[in-house]
Amino acid sequence: MPMNRLHNGNRSVKMKQTFSGLLIGAAIALSGCATTGVVEQPTVANKADPYENFNRKMFGFNDRVDNYVAEPISNAYKWITPQFMQTGVFNFFNNLKNVNVVINDVLQAKFSQSAEDTGRFAINSTVGLGGLFDVAKHVGLEQNEEDFDQTLAVWGVPQGSYLVLPLLGPSTSRGIPGAIFDTAANPASYIGMPVQLVSMLNTRASAEGALKFIDEAALDPYVFTRESFLQWRNNLATDGKAEATDVDGLDDEAPEGDKGAASGHGSSDDAGNKAGFALSMDADTKDLVQARYSFSSVAQSFDNTAKSFEDAGAKVDKLKKSKSRR
Amino acid sequence: MVLKNMKLAFVFMFLLFGTVNAFAADEGGATARQVVEKFQSDLIAVMKDGKKLGYAGRYEKLKDPVSNSHELTKIARIVVGKEWEKLSEEQQQKLADVFSRLSIASYAHNFKDYSGESFVFDSEEETTRGGVVVHSHFVVPDDKPVKFDYMLKEKGNSWRIINIIANGVSDLALKRSEYTTILQREGFDALITKINEKIDNYSKQ
Repeated sequence: MPMNRLHNGNRSVKMKQTFSGLLIGAAIALSGCATTGVVEQPTVANKADPYENFNRKMFGFNDRVDNYVAEPISNAYKWITPQFMQTGVFNFFNNLKNVNVVINDVLQAKFSQSAEDTGRFAINSTVGLGGLFDVAKHVGLEQNEEDFDQTLAVWGVPQGSYLVLPLLGPSTSRGIPGAIFDTAANPASYIGMPVQLVSMLNTRASAEGALKFIDEAALDPYVFTRESFLQWRNNLATDGKAEATDVDGLDDEAPEGDKGAASGHGSSDDAGNKAGFALSMDADTKDLVQARYSFSSVAQSFDNTAKSFEDAGAKVDKLKKSKSRR
Repeated sequence: MVLKNMKLAFVFMFLLFGTVNAFAADEGGATARQVVEKFQSDLIAVMKDGKKLGYAGRYEKLKDPVSNSHELTKIARIVVGKEWEKLSEEQQQKLADVFSRLSIASYAHNFKDYSGESFVFDSEEETTRGGVVVHSHFVVPDDKPVKFDYMLKEKGNSWRIINIIANGVSDLALKRSEYTTILQREGFDALITKINEKIDNYSKQ
């Protein structure tokens, strides 16, 4: 069980070291790829993205992998696979994901939703022929989106920094332990490799529209992806309740007010200091430093996650009570 | 006879209009909800004729509805944040101008045809800073509906859209991060060039 592993202090330290080792290796390999020698402009650090230089390189790397590998393969897949099969494959994996959804419903004390989602899973697994057909949608049971990252958010684990992972794409410090639990809980993870590959292909194929939209609309694809990812995750974690306050923060005279300044200079906090420190170094070491910091932030997130699991029972009870009071 | 009929029809229409207006607000200023719904119905109308109109036709038809319902100059000012003050008057004017064209172009590009979509009003709420948020959703047949929340501010005796939040992603916040980043990293001219490139790409299909 991954939970037990995290309780073990020694293991987590070891994990931390292995991870930073891996990452520094990756960073060296990447800086090797991008030897243009361009001196990067110092940028104002976004509060949520203290490792921007490193993330941008990773983003560029992923983008290239997508252009030269993932996209051609996905196009070939789309060309040989009829649409109804693509939908079927999507439905099949989506249905298995409902196991996660139900678990996370319970962990977030959303009991009636968990009953609905269980029903959804049952209907699609039986009448929907093992999930190939989304029958439940037509009975009015919509797909809910819940995952461990959202559960951790509900439990009060901070989101942490924005991170772009090699091949996997956008995430946050909290998203990494979240994704590990999700993978462990998803039955699809235990099926063999060819099936996994089909799942990956299909995911890339169905993301086509979104990727095209980013391509068309984004002036700076990196920032566009980062902002929409963070906002979307936040919206999911709060079940859409965050928006009213967020809007208010932005609406008014940015030039006169101090709102703009507040979001521009996050240097008073820890993240800003680190970024400021990192900026003063030359480009290559800077990335290594960023990589190291980004991994210590992930490690911290693991610690937080482990801690929050220790009193998971108490948390669900508390959530349950606060819900029934409402 | 025909004239008389027409007159009657006019009177009838006038009455109908009158009752609608009475439900809404005092004449002249439209309420926030009316501004949003007017814009949405204009948009749907253009989508219905979308194929026939082509990109240029859609752009022309959407020009007034977009500029009359959105406060584009103010949006342009907000998206560059505190950088606005550092721009010369000429640059500010240029940015506002290019930004308006981009906004219309992206509508003309993204809402190009019609397959039974519609907007549905959900609710309306006042914000603490005297704005109004109109919650609605965009129904797409055979697909998940998209939540559209419009944030409006009062301007004169009418309301203008200042931000659109689609499925929880705020357009204003997104643009602001992008624009300020580009201004800081690459400067004003690069920003204008990039916006113009986007408008160009939109017009190509």
